[in-house]
Amino acid sequence: MKYKEHIQGLSLVAPCLVIIFGFIFFPVGYSFWLSFTNKQTLYPDYDYVGFGNYVMLSGEEEFWMSMWQGTIFAVGTIFFQVILGLAAALVLNQAFRGRGFVRGLTLFPYMLPTIVTILLWKWLLSTTYGPINYFLQVIGIIDQPVVWLGANWIMASTIFVGVWQFFPFVVITLLARLQTIDLELYEAAAIDGANAWKRFFFITLPQLRFVLLVVILLRTFFMFTKFDVPWLMATGGGLQRLISNWPVYAFRRTFGQLQAGEGAAISVLLFFALVLMTIIYFRIYRKEEA
Amino acid sequence: MLTKLIFEFKRLSFRSVLYLCGATLVVFCGIPLIWMLFTSLKPLEVLFSYPPAIFSHYTLSNFKRLFTDTYFLVYLKNSIVVAGTTVILDIVIATFGAYSLTRFRFVGKELLASLTLFTYMFAPIMIIIPVYVLLNDLGLTDSHLGIILAYTSISLPFTLWLLRAFFQSFPIDLEEAAFIDGANRFQSLVWVVIPQALPGIIATSVFAFVVVWNDFLFARVLLTSTHLKTMPIGLQDIYESTIVDWGLLMSAAVIVSIPALIFFLTIQKFLIKGWGMGAVKG
Repeated sequence: MKYKEHIQGLSLVAPCLVIIFGFIFFPVGYSFWLSFTNKQTLYPDYDYVGFGNYVMLSGEEEFWMSMWQGTIFAVGTIFFQVILGLAAALVLNQAFRGRGFVRGLTLFPYMLPTIVTILLWKWLLSTTYGPINYFLQVIGIIDQPVVWLGANWIMASTIFVGVWQFFPFVVITLLARLQTIDLELYEAAAIDGANAWKRFFFITLPQLRFVLLVVILLRTFFMFTKFDVPWLMATGGGLQRLISNWPVYAFRRTFGQLQAGEGAAISVLLFFALVLMTIIYFRIYRKEEA
Repeated sequence: MLTKLIFEFKRLSFRSVLYLCGATLVVFCGIPLIWMLFTSLKPLEVLFSYPPAIFSHYTLSNFKRLFTDTYFLVYLKNSIVVAGTTVILDIVIATFGAYSLTRFRFVGKELLASLTLFTYMFAPIMIIIPVYVLLNDLGLTDSHLGIILAYTSISLPFTLWLLRAFFQSFPIDLEEAAFIDGANRFQSLVWVVIPQALPGIIATSVFAFVVVWNDFLFARVLLTSTHLKTMPIGLQDIYESTIVDWGLLMSAAVIVSIPALIFFLTIQKFLIKGWGMGAVKG
């Protein structure tokens, strides 16, 4: 009976196992192997080159540039997403008329295809006909239309678009946690005379600590590995060199220059960077906990 | 009297700040979407008027041009086929998997559950490079079969994780009653477990559909023939060939956003509750 249960259980989960190992873990392992070869994307034969790709990449200016720009993009979007997402979650946790509608609307940008988000914002931010420039001129913040999608502003615009699209993720996750905080805690604090700020800092924030860590960690994974946002923001303007990151760089190496080995090496480095960041986050979290 | 007045004032100012914040959120998220819709309905000559016109006469001519002058309908059909097939495959496989993970005991069960979460650490670019190389060896690049396989595998970890959470959330008693009535495992899965989990299965399906529907990277890499391309890359192609035809582009954007709208209308309430269970992607 026991033995039969093992077999039945395993056979039901077998298709999942085959797919997860065959199509995710095996390719990832294969990626590690490719990073030590001079594999070309379309050509079958290749040789083992040891750390050759890594050595070569570390000597390239573009490698460091895309690392730097990718970090600015990721850190910038994560920072503003979390701040804005936290503020919005606190607001949406209060009872007010029309809350259901505002909640739904707030989640909406997250579900839009990235291509739609990017095209929409390229239109809204366009220099000559864009409503944003018009609006800012009318209210007197700027005198001249700003070239939001030009070299000077493209990074800021890309971060803005990233924040707009992904802050709902922070909102939903924090909102789910906020709804489970015991209201008696607030009542007790109010009786003790704690004002709204104190209640936020001494009750809400400590209760949110763990979920905030998880949110920031997940956003770190997603923003450092984001390909479509920087890629699509740069197309049509020749701005590829101003808002690159490692995924974009790996993509160009693999599918532009057809050097799969080098592209794989970049993606492997990205993986280790994420592992390193995860370790650092948990270290900081534990230290604060103590 | 005075303290009551101060209290009342504080309450009122809190309310007004709250409504102000709510209104800001509506403007921040809603206005861009409204602008997208308005742009799609504006005739070409109004589109580039300056200052931007909010009220003009509206027309469906952009949509008409989209259907007749571009490959939009081909992309649309491809997206529906690819996302639909992926979701069906995904849900069938993940339902069996989740049932096994919640109703059986076997070696390595917990390890397997945590491994699915571990896949979040792999960047899509890290998966697509070897997947492209492997599919290329098999001659499956630039085919719907290849991309459906790839999509099924990248969406399986989170559908499995999500369904597992749903299956865990309802009691096992009913199934035991079914066993006493002589049902076998398979019958109890089909007649007892799945009907109970149906809301969760629908929510997961819609979510997986949206994730696959929205994907850009895999489609960009794996599909090169026009007649096979899905919506997101098709839309980019339309953008690159007609760079300033914003009416046309926004009408396409409106249609591509429909699954997101359906998602929003059907399971938005449910989502806020279910989110903590791991429905995360992107």
